[in-house]
Amino acid sequence: MNITETSNGAIAIVAIEGRLDALSAPELRNNRSVIDPEKTVVLNLEKLDFMNSTGLGAIVGALNQKLQPDFGIVLSCMNDDVRSVFEITNVQKLFHIFDDTAAAVEFATTRQGAHT
Amino acid sequence: MSSIITLTLPGEIMFARLASQTASSLADLVIGENREESAKRKFCHAFELAVSEAVTNSVTHAEEFDAPQMLTVTFEFEPRQLTVSVRDANPPFSIDKSAPDIESYPVHGFGLKIIREIMDQFTYRRDGDANIITMSKSL
Amino acid sequence: MKTILAFRESEYAWVHEKFPCVHPLLLPLCNKPFIEFLIDFAILAGSSAVRILCDGGLGEVERYCEDGSRWGIDLSYASIHPDDSIHAMLGKNRKFCGEERVMIVSGFSFIRYDKRYDYKSFVSSMPPGEWSTCPGGRITLTGVPTKAVPDWLIADLSLMPLDSMTSYYQASMETLKTGESRYVLPGYGDEPECAFGRNVVISKSVEIRKPVSIGNNVQLLGNAIIGPSAIIGSNVIIDRESSVESSIVFDNTYIGEHLEIIGRIASGNRLNDPKSGASIAMEDPHLLSGIKKNRHLRSLPRKIVHACVALVIIAAFFIPFIILWPLLKLGGHWKSSPASFLAERTDETMPLAKVEVDASGAAAAIAVALSLDRYFRLFRVVTGQLALIGSTPLLAGESRPDAPAYVPAYLPGVFSYAEAEEWAATGGDATIVERFHLAHSNPLTDIGLVIKAFINRFQEKSTI
Repeated sequence: MNITETSNGAIAIVAIEGRLDALSAPELRNNRSVIDPEKTVVLNLEKLDFMNSTGLGAIVGALNQKLQPDFGIVLSCMNDDVRSVFEITNVQKLFHIFDDTAAAVEFATTRQGAHT
Repeated sequence: MSSIITLTLPGEIMFARLASQTASSLADLVIGENREESAKRKFCHAFELAVSEAVTNSVTHAEEFDAPQMLTVTFEFEPRQLTVSVRDANPPFSIDKSAPDIESYPVHGFGLKIIREIMDQFTYRRDGDANIITMSKSL
Repeated sequence: MKTILAFRESEYAWVHEKFPCVHPLLLPLCNKPFIEFLIDFAILAGSSAVRILCDGGLGEVERYCEDGSRWGIDLSYASIHPDDSIHAMLGKNRKFCGEERVMIVSGFSFIRYDKRYDYKSFVSSMPPGEWSTCPGGRITLTGVPTKAVPDWLIADLSLMPLDSMTSYYQASMETLKTGESRYVLPGYGDEPECAFGRNVVISKSVEIRKPVSIGNNVQLLGNAIIGPSAIIGSNVIIDRESSVESSIVFDNTYIGEHLEIIGRIASGNRLNDPKSGASIAMEDPHLLSGIKKNRHLRSLPRKIVHACVALVIIAAFFIPFIILWPLLKLGGHWKSSPASFLAERTDETMPLAKVEVDASGAAAAIAVALSLDRYFRLFRVVTGQLALIGSTPLLAGESRPDAPAYVPAYLPGVFSYAEAEEWAATGGDATIVERFHLAHSNPLTDIGLVIKAFINRFQEKSTI
């Protein structure tokens, strides 16, 4: 799995590439922006090919650490396979999910601006 | 006519990925050319995910008891379905746990729910000192 | 042009409560799932792609609609939050919407449209904004119009909220009456207002009064009166002397003998009054006594006949069994695993071996064709624990709609009645066939059905 991080203002955009499973989940769990409770993160899943429940748990766990669980982690561009894992487990209810990363960043920026 | 392929793997997390990727390749091999691309992709992904969940469960369970051992993954191809069994020597576990409440932001406990949802058949049994999970999906 | 269909769980919570066997978006209106009416409308309006948004699960809908290729459109799915505005929905689906005009249909409401109108021209010439509303539902257009409105253009429509069983019943009956002229409806028929699905068996003395819509795999037995205004789903049996008028019968429902269903919605083992919203379980002897658990199921003569026939089969197949079983067992082609199945009495279970024979060799093929995989179970018939023919034994511990707790008749057997029929012996089809025979068969007809089941299994296994 590859993690690439960029930023847009105060928002961190973390792109995950490859497979998010028990082998790679620790890498996500240790990402500095992801574990920072105050940092709003857009997780770009466009190049995430495969995710199992351990990977899902890592994303949910990261959201749980955020001071703002409503928008602390915003998801973008997931493919149908990854979406099906969110859907089966009903975890999609915890997240705002976008099909476009720029729109996700705009949403996160607006929410953060309204909050501060 | 059925064919059987058996993988014997060390109970370590990196081999869970090997098992699931093998599952995906095998599913792709047997599903047949005349299926629609999206249906093929869905079938292969479901099979890969189910194997990933079962093997990861087995491996992490072994780690909990500090007893990593070999586990056996058996794929069986029949004309109308694909079956996979995962056998390990861990202590028995319960499959009756309900899926976790998402409002509590759970990080574990979704594996069995996923398997039950995406596979057509799922059974768990104890055979002597072994756990055997068997999952099938119709082709 | 693209279309977004957006729903919130709170809008259709009543469907989960009243009709738990069906996903609300697949709720049938005149034998066609609700969501298909909206997809049809999106296509009429000129959409090339449709996205279904929901704050709840869409798994069943996705399995049914798949990628939309059967309608020739691109169908996709995404999730929303319960409090998302239309603006938020558009933001979350920005890539899908692109630069095109988007029609957003939100809310669990039925669109009264007419397929003869030119909605495509209308939609492309309408100014952006709200097109139509009803309590809890609206159609909104975004983007600039691409055409001017022609003077002659009429493209009427209205929205009807589906917020209760009453409005659902009204929408269904309205659809049945307006029929094919306004909507694309399933079924075939030479006469107007009469649509029949595949494999509908109608006894000679049955009376059909228009309008009716009948699904697939339906049996209408002697002197039944169907209609006027009857919507009968798929895998349904309407038994002798019963009448169904101004009513909806859901898929997989068995209506017993001598019953009058007027102004009701029958679903599984429940009978609903669409006006009051009341729902009653069918075991109630004052309503549908024909479905009540048949006392003959446990009768002694039946058990004796079953046991005698089982002994005959045990004796007849003893020699092939004693030769083939050790052979297959040693060769690893005979796999047996213990499992717990539901017994005839509610809340009781019994252990039974699940036998799988790998039919890859000649010996295995013969064993499977002769149903030797069921040989050990025959002894349970002699001891009275199993019927020779009855319901398919159900695994204990599984929550399923055809479990004995919900189904009035369950009698686990070595062979199942469904195997005696040529219908697909799975799911709802099998359940409804089993229920029918449990209500009607007697010890003698059981013998005939066992032979039929045996022959069907023989033919099926011989042709694999």
